[in-house]
Amino acid sequence: MKSKGTKDGLEEYTQPYCAQTTDSAPLFSAEAYENVEQKITKINLEDYRGKWVILFFYASDFTFV
Amino acid sequence: MAAVAAIYDQLKYLNTEVLAISTDSVYSHKVFTEVSPSASKVQFPLLSDRTHQISKAYRVLNEKTGATFRATIIVDPEGTIVSKLVYPLEVGRNVYEILRLLQALQYSRKTGEGVPANWMSNQPGIVRDPKFIGRI
Repeated sequence: MKSKGTKDGLEEYTQPYCAQTTDSAPLFSAEAYENVEQKITKINLEDYRGKWVILFFYASDFTFV
Repeated sequence: MAAVAAIYDQLKYLNTEVLAISTDSVYSHKVFTEVSPSASKVQFPLLSDRTHQISKAYRVLNEKTGATFRATIIVDPEGTIVSKLVYPLEVGRNVYEILRLLQALQYSRKTGEGVPANWMSNQPGIVRDPKFIGRI
């Protein structure tokens, strides 16, 4: 029987999900404000298949930097 | 935010969409675009992550503040995370690095070449030939 801490048991030390490079991007839908059309819409990440997407996380609308 | 708006045309050219995400409400986003000179220029949607579910899923929630970290995540056309940059709390990002990454990723996929450190889009990549191993 394999046990943790032995060479043969190394595969049991799986990392927790970290949303890191090579991971699937978690799918989501969210309300959004569209500045150009000045309206509130719903955005689904899945609708962006076929395009490159930048998820640009920022701390707060009203801030200094 | 304004810095990304300034390179938006170049991102479009690279078949790239921007989704800006914070834990503010869409109502806050609306007022933000109305009163902030920099936010008034954004051409991309501002998403609301009021429940923190998105920022938690992407592991970029700052639990001390309830806001997200300053993170830039690039997702490829197949839906895989190909880059994740998390910046310091007090330093803004370099949008030219975002452009460079997209150019480099697309160059590498098109040519099969590797892309070295400090590569710029007018430079060649590295051909993956075993005879070059240890010679570069």
